[in-house]
Amino acid sequence: MDNKNLEIRDLKVKEKFTIKKFLLRWEMILIYILVLINIVLMISKPNLYFEASTIPSIIQSGMDLSFMVLGMIFILMLGDIDVSIASIMILSSMVMGLIMDAGINSVIAVICGIIAGGLCGLFNGILVAKINMPSVIVTIATMSLFRGIVKIVLDVNVLKNFPEVFKTLSWHNLFGFIPLSLICFLIFAVVFSVFLHKSKFGRELYMIGNNKVASKYSGINVEKVKIIAFVSMGVMSAVSAIFFVGRMGGGVSSTMGKGYELEVIAIAVLGGISTSGGKGKVYGPVIATLIMSFLSYTLGLLGVDANTRKIVTGVILIIAVLIPNINKQLFKNIKEFLLSKKINN
Amino acid sequence: MAENIFRKITQYRNFGLLVGMIILIILGLIITPAMFTMDSIISMLRNNSIYAILAIGMMFVLLTGGIDLSVGSTLALTGVVSSLLMSTNPGIPAVIWVLVSILIGALCGFVNGFLIGKLNMIPMISTLGTMYAFRGLAFLISGGSWLFPHLFTPGYTWYSGGNFLGIYNITWIAIILFILAAIFLSITKPGRRIYAIGTSSESSKVSGINEGNVKILSYTLCGALSGLAGMLYTANHAISFYGMAEGFEMQAIAICILGGVSIVGGKGRIDGIVISTVMMAFISYFISLLPGLSVWQDAIQGGIIIIAVVINIITLKMADKRTLKEKGALI
Repeated sequence: MDNKNLEIRDLKVKEKFTIKKFLLRWEMILIYILVLINIVLMISKPNLYFEASTIPSIIQSGMDLSFMVLGMIFILMLGDIDVSIASIMILSSMVMGLIMDAGINSVIAVICGIIAGGLCGLFNGILVAKINMPSVIVTIATMSLFRGIVKIVLDVNVLKNFPEVFKTLSWHNLFGFIPLSLICFLIFAVVFSVFLHKSKFGRELYMIGNNKVASKYSGINVEKVKIIAFVSMGVMSAVSAIFFVGRMGGGVSSTMGKGYELEVIAIAVLGGISTSGGKGKVYGPVIATLIMSFLSYTLGLLGVDANTRKIVTGVILIIAVLIPNINKQLFKNIKEFLLSKKINN
Repeated sequence: MAENIFRKITQYRNFGLLVGMIILIILGLIITPAMFTMDSIISMLRNNSIYAILAIGMMFVLLTGGIDLSVGSTLALTGVVSSLLMSTNPGIPAVIWVLVSILIGALCGFVNGFLIGKLNMIPMISTLGTMYAFRGLAFLISGGSWLFPHLFTPGYTWYSGGNFLGIYNITWIAIILFILAAIFLSITKPGRRIYAIGTSSESSKVSGINEGNVKILSYTLCGALSGLAGMLYTANHAISFYGMAEGFEMQAIAICILGGVSIVGGKGRIDGIVISTVMMAFISYFISLLPGLSVWQDAIQGGIIIIAVVINIITLKMADKRTLKEKGALI
């Protein structure tokens, strides 16, 4: 009896699978862009492209901040934003370095670093969810707060004592051509996509992003979900710290990693996550991460300097957000035009 | 009667800020008496006038419910362009470069405003994009080269270092801009419209305000002010390179928030910004004077913003309760 009722209530709306729609999805467009960049690189530098070590090193170059992109998906999904992540990353790598300096086991150092990241995220989350402060303000403030703590502790010193594993993780290739960091990233991405697309928590994220008030009245614990999202963001920043330290060759100072937060947000938005919340998938940002690392590497090889690459990043970000917007308005205009014709007839 | 006045004073929005500043000044007097010579205060005001100008522009944008992350990059772009032009044509009077920098800044702001007002982009994202773009443009135009003090003409640096009644010109400019902004926001039609769309975009649309145009206006004003700040920054420090003023946008936002401008729009007054600019200046000056405290700057600033917003929220809640009570008494 109960089962029957459930079946009736479960109104599954399944869209028919059409190839045209599939090919025009945002994720597919991202893949086209990725392929296009590859072709450009292949044509302009054929000797370099077909060398075995080139592509792995391109992929590795973008993997240090990729983990933060995954965490940022949750935050943006809620309609919030977190600009303190680079500071959290530096803070947790500092914790790892200090514990290693004290001569304690490297496993404990990593765990403590991740806990530190989680605590920073918890601090953000409590301020945003419990006290109802806008996330932009909270994270702008904690951005300077966390980096300030690092500056107080480290002053101008550099931490150099880090586990060797960090370097292997971010520089080693499995079988000579699969970057270890890419494998870690994909594992995390799978975990995140399961959470976002298959679990109750993920559904709640989407719902809060779409309508916070409605989801509150339908019995979702909005505060709890928000805090979990911010804590996971902090943890992912700490995970990123491992790869960041590895890529930097095992040295941390208080001024490192500035501007990473904006790059991460740019990647997430390019991947199709709406900043007003409630839209997006995990696959998009994963592809966008690869696009960004290929793009900056290709531009670098073509002789474009770092600052012009900044322009390209900015323009791409704007265009990526504009395209769906303009599309929507176009469709709306066409619809209104047709409607007015019908009425006139 | 006296009680009434006392109550009005304590209900004044910026009462807390004023009390904080007085405590700070007393602390400063006790710990570092050297802080309060006339010279040091005047030079402190000189160095913080740039923030004041940026904060006015940022306030226009925050009032509409938006945010502008590109002010630092706009500052760098206009600073680089105006100082480059100045060094290649030293004969032309410097007023031209002031106008040129305001124009370039306004153009940058217009791009932001068009993206946000007409194409309906989210302010955070579009200004994030233009932040990258303007900074890169500054690099392209300057070719990565620096301009050093000997290249700056005295006419150019006069706009910051010149003196009138003992106060530097740059501070006078900031003061005049404060007054103009207060008049603009409280009396003129466009100023009131900025408040209107920030408070409720729906109802302002219904009452016939073109929201897109007002947004374009506020972003253009913000850009023009940061353009002026760019020229003044290069004149003040007599140095220019593409990487200057990074992170100034956060400083400007912090001043606005501390001064009681709501980030969701529609709330905030110029007097709050004046007080918070001076307070921020005092704090950073205070910290720089105490030995060994300069590393604390970031942490203290972050902490202050959080505390300010928490206090803000609490006072708002208290005010709500009070009005509810008064209404209840009426019924």
